[in-house]
Amino acid sequence: MSADTVPDESTRVPDAGDDVLVVRSLVRRFGGITAVDDVSFRIGQGETYGLLGPNGAGKTTTISMVAGLIRADSGATLVNGREMGPDRVDVKHHIGLVPQNLAIYPDLTGRENLRYFGRLQRLGREALDRRVDEVLELIGLTDRAGDLTKEYSGGMKRRLNIGIGLLHQPRLLILDEPTVGVDPQSRHAILESVEALSVEGMAVLYTTHYMEEAERLCDRIGIIDEGRIQAEGSRDELVRLTGGVDHIRLNGSGDIDVAADALRELPEVEQVDADRRTLYLTVRDAPTAVARIVTSATRAGLSLTDVEITRPDLESVFLHLTGKALRD
Amino acid sequence: MRPALAIGVVELRRFFRDRSNIFFVFIFPLLLVLVIGLQFGENSSQGRVAVAGDGSALRTAVVDELEADDVTVTFDDADDVREQLARGRSDVGLFVSDRAARAFDEGENVRIEIVTAAQSGSQATVQDVRAAVRAVGVEQSQVTALTTAGLDEEAAQDALARARETIQPPEVSVSNVDELAQEFSGVGQFDVGAAQQTLLFVFLISLAGSATLIQARREGVVARTLAAPVSAAQVIAGQVLGRFVIAMLQGGYIMAASSLLFGVAWGNIALALLILSMFCVVAAAAAMVIGSVMDNDSAASGVGVGTGLVLAGLGGSMLPLELFPDGMRTIADFTPHAWGYEAFAEIQRHGAGLVDILPSIGVLAAMAAVLLALGSWLLRRSLARAL
Repeated sequence: MSADTVPDESTRVPDAGDDVLVVRSLVRRFGGITAVDDVSFRIGQGETYGLLGPNGAGKTTTISMVAGLIRADSGATLVNGREMGPDRVDVKHHIGLVPQNLAIYPDLTGRENLRYFGRLQRLGREALDRRVDEVLELIGLTDRAGDLTKEYSGGMKRRLNIGIGLLHQPRLLILDEPTVGVDPQSRHAILESVEALSVEGMAVLYTTHYMEEAERLCDRIGIIDEGRIQAEGSRDELVRLTGGVDHIRLNGSGDIDVAADALRELPEVEQVDADRRTLYLTVRDAPTAVARIVTSATRAGLSLTDVEITRPDLESVFLHLTGKALRD
Repeated sequence: MRPALAIGVVELRRFFRDRSNIFFVFIFPLLLVLVIGLQFGENSSQGRVAVAGDGSALRTAVVDELEADDVTVTFDDADDVREQLARGRSDVGLFVSDRAARAFDEGENVRIEIVTAAQSGSQATVQDVRAAVRAVGVEQSQVTALTTAGLDEEAAQDALARARETIQPPEVSVSNVDELAQEFSGVGQFDVGAAQQTLLFVFLISLAGSATLIQARREGVVARTLAAPVSAAQVIAGQVLGRFVIAMLQGGYIMAASSLLFGVAWGNIALALLILSMFCVVAAAAAMVIGSVMDNDSAASGVGVGTGLVLAGLGGSMLPLELFPDGMRTIADFTPHAWGYEAFAEIQRHGAGLVDILPSIGVLAAMAAVLLALGSWLLRRSLARAL
């Protein structure tokens, strides 16, 4: 694997035989531009895997290959152990795609949209009726099932968009930035739904450029930029790539230099920088250390007005790995 | 086949959900058939005569003669008859005075006032009126001659009636050597217009519907469809099927409604449906070409309507092909409309069979094959573009 991979027993990738999705060294070029460059990852049953990266990082191109919409220039995608590609109609049944666009017919009702895509998934009449009702219930649209979707709110359309992907109970659900342009309430509902899916044993591939979503939902995260997976692992594993240190900022009045010298004596403190009224500390395990730090600073004559703890997050990881912010 | 069917059905559902289609699909074509039939139909009334004067034997006899010649007769008072003439609503005004009616009853010479309108067709109607009055006069003079010879009037009329049954009048056969007149001879008033509008609207509706393909592609529905267990070939088949069914419904509706409402004779109905279905395949494939080449649905609708109207004009769906100059007639052969028109004309006017229309069907099939191949290729490219 080309990316930094942090081994961790608690989030170890299952044996290849158990993987619902195996992506091996995918490459896709458009003209002279390499949109996806040697991307590999795997997802086990009941696992949610996040592809986190800014717009244009190669997320959508990657899932287009995984979903069999476009052909890879090289590499392979295995779904349930069978190779996926645009012609593999027999394999496509195992995946459910929730595209970034609202891929629904605005001039059909919610129920008609579900029935249409259910027929494409070759659900029988009885199964189709049952699943449409179940999905409508799941996405909270039973009462509005007979309305044209062009009359739905943005959040309702997003929920229907997801419901269509779930209709045939695929083994792998691919969600491409499903919360883009959604109000906070609908976003919360969508995230809750996705969390429930892994509990049910569905493998989920989730692309996003929202760090908070990746942190909340994903068992493992692949950080992707410029078509390459830069690092992969659980949230904690990725954070450790930044060195695993926290930052504490102390504001106050008094003799800053004396306080800085006192804090340097503490074993938890790795580095202290100071300006006229502020101390910047690099520490290990800030929540535990903060009490001793505040006590030491006060004893050194510093009258504190403000204490701020900053722990590293995926934004920090992305910055650490790529030298740029996630939303650049 | 099931996915293709599902795609076709959903296209059909979306088409009928658009309420603006109701007027253009169901009402507008029939209005045009009606208007064209009224304006140009061969079996339109032979003339319009407004008659003034109280009821009398003379009036009844003349009116019977006129109506026997397919002349439309209306009754009004003298002033209104003159107004109708002035406004061009009648071709000829016939003023039957009380004096003339009495003279007729008494077997004397009768003078009837005839006033013609200014329009060009009035002179032909005047001839009809003159012929009718002359016929009535001849019969009345014959009765008078017999009563003068001693028969009572009832016996005289009885004798004349028997004589008419016994003596066959000479049959006058008029042959019009004009090719155009021969082509349209015996054609129903609405027949040509109905065939023209069927072809025009089938193509127009299909091309205008190409926008829905662009919308589906732009909204990502096509991509999602391809992520399901559906091959690109099935997507293409579904799109063609949907448009074909819409075109068939449009054409079938115009054929059925024009037959029921206007008595349009379509000839052999199986052959008529064969022509229609082949033309619909061409229209569906053409819609796929436009829907695949263009990426803007509004522009595609405009281009579709424009192309549909131009092809209809060039192909004889606005003006009958028989009226085209030679050069334009040659150009018309590059349109599917011309071949559809020719085939319909053969079965409607000449009772043609399958063999007679095979050349037209063959050309339409070739056009359909070329457009389907092109449309499929372009649609595949557009699907790749959409992803």
